[in-house]
Amino acid sequence: MTKLWWAQINAVIRLEMKKTLFARRSLWIYVLALLPVFLFTAHTVFTSRDRERSRHIASKSEKTLAYQDLQAIKPEMTSQEVIAQLGKPPLRFHWNEQRPLESGGSEEIPHESYHYSDGVNDLYVDIAEGRVSSVHLHQGYNLAQDSIVFAGVFQFFYLRLAIFFGCLGIFMNLFRGEILDKSLHFYFLAPIRREVLMVGKFLAGLLATCLVFVTSELLQILVFTWSFSPNLRDLYLYQNHGLAHSAAYLGITALACLGYGAFFLAAGMLFRNPILPAAAILGWEAVNPFLPALLKKFSVIYYLKSLCPVDIPSPPGMPALMSLLISNPDPVSTPVAILGIMIVALLVLYISSFQARRMEINYTTE
Amino acid sequence: MPANDRVVFENVSKFYGDVLGVNRVNLTIPPGITSLVGPNGSGKTTLMNLMSGLIRPTRGRITVLGIRTDQPDELFRYLGYCTQFDSFPKGFTGYQFVYSYLRLYGCAHGEAEELAWKAIERVGMVDAARRKIAGYSKGMRQRIRLAQALCHNPRVLVLDEPLNGLDPLARAEMIALFRAVASDGCYVIISSHILHEVDAISDQVILLSNGYVVAEGQIHSVRDEIREHPAQILIRCDRPRDLASKMMESEHTLEVRIHNDERGLLIKTRDADRFYLMLNHIALNGVEIESVAPADDDVNSVYEYLIGNDEVVR
Repeated sequence: MTKLWWAQINAVIRLEMKKTLFARRSLWIYVLALLPVFLFTAHTVFTSRDRERSRHIASKSEKTLAYQDLQAIKPEMTSQEVIAQLGKPPLRFHWNEQRPLESGGSEEIPHESYHYSDGVNDLYVDIAEGRVSSVHLHQGYNLAQDSIVFAGVFQFFYLRLAIFFGCLGIFMNLFRGEILDKSLHFYFLAPIRREVLMVGKFLAGLLATCLVFVTSELLQILVFTWSFSPNLRDLYLYQNHGLAHSAAYLGITALACLGYGAFFLAAGMLFRNPILPAAAILGWEAVNPFLPALLKKFSVIYYLKSLCPVDIPSPPGMPALMSLLISNPDPVSTPVAILGIMIVALLVLYISSFQARRMEINYTTE
Repeated sequence: MPANDRVVFENVSKFYGDVLGVNRVNLTIPPGITSLVGPNGSGKTTLMNLMSGLIRPTRGRITVLGIRTDQPDELFRYLGYCTQFDSFPKGFTGYQFVYSYLRLYGCAHGEAEELAWKAIERVGMVDAARRKIAGYSKGMRQRIRLAQALCHNPRVLVLDEPLNGLDPLARAEMIALFRAVASDGCYVIISSHILHEVDAISDQVILLSNGYVVAEGQIHSVRDEIREHPAQILIRCDRPRDLASKMMESEHTLEVRIHNDERGLLIKTRDADRFYLMLNHIALNGVEIESVAPADDDVNSVYEYLIGNDEVVR
């Protein structure tokens, strides 16, 4: 019997995958999934252009500079001291400021701007009346900051919006779409247990969403790490937990598809209008940080947040309520989080199986 | 024949909210061709959807060859259903439609391919099988649905208005196909509102009106049970006037009409059995009788007597 079930599940998956992946109505899901890839690609293009410029400036320097050399320049140093330390600036601008005097009239203040680079980091030195008035050291790379930006995009756009709505689009249509197309009877007239059909459809949805969203996440990671220099990439991947973080992001993406998929499959079987359950689930996930401890557990985001490898700090001055949305005050351990999502998903699927058994073909009432 | 070798409805009712689908249906359907006859909205499709488990009864119990209809994994091993739903999974060709069904059935690729082509051939769709269903005519869609319903050689074949959209030649072919299936001891359950077709192909009929079964059984037995309407018998003979005068002597004879060509007469009688006995005596006394045939022993007449509805196409 199990062999037959697997054969039937396999048949359902083949049929559903074709329908899900190549349907015109799934196009927006691809766009949603690929948006962060476009974002990180644009970021990479801009940073590589900046890097090229920095290299060009460094090549025109009198001396080979290191990051420490750039850091050594402080305000109130004279322009001669700067030049003595860093050499003649490869890029130099000057202008005169007309400063009004209290006695009337004005005096002319000469200004200069020096631009140095060590090939990665850029130093902008403003000099007024022969002394350093301000120093801007622009770091070419900031691993910690870039990781937080990546984590922010992942948590607040990819996880809570892209995967959420992508799963809604795919899983809700597994049954609801066929009821609207009036073609669900094709499955219901086959000698297949409704539970087996449901599992087949769920696995097809899971495969499709994982294929779309895990692939997109993988592309995001590749594009993100591609923006680093080879040395920094090695540093990030092998010494800065980059590999572990990447694996975690991919795993979280798959788990999100599993968790949200189960909820939306059930919603598609229980409700005629997908907007209401989608709004309810979105609301439930959003208010999760404010729920009592027991209720928190019946949520997907609760476990996913605990699995996220990078904590996003609250910006200073942010209201406490908003900070709660960002932070995760009571994270659960990784095994508990993974098991938690699986248990929640299985529970929802188990409840859905009763609905699958009770479903009738009555297109006229839909 | 044991009950689990039949299609059985036990006190089945189905309500769609407040709307009645069928009410208090008790039926036992034997092998052969059984026709569900009734006007639109009489409950034919509801009965078919109930026996295939697409809908659940509000009350009562249905079994098909002893299998409950809420067990699709068992039921559809023995039952094939050609529905009236004119929609298909998107992008399918005729062949893919039948083949995919067989894969869901659990067939391996080779077996599914073989059975699919066999079924497609039976309904005469080989040439169009590789084309997308979206481009099919109504008749072609009907035939490919039929191919899907019978591709796994079910013992019970349920066909909802199966001749809709078919041209006369295709109708004749399909009727021959139904007969062939029924002659193998299978159950062919057909719904139709076209009485003359039903009359020609059915072994038994189930007459439905407003969700109620008004009569069931072989057409002749059903006709016999309608006592309030006299039986009409058409006789072709050499001396119709002599025969008519003899017949009028019987108290059960209500009316006699001589045919215009003076070679036959139509008799209305309250007791067909006594009439036939009497006719034997008359024949022995020298009237040469060419043929005797009931004139209202068909579904058409039975339906008119029982329901008197003009929605049914005659």
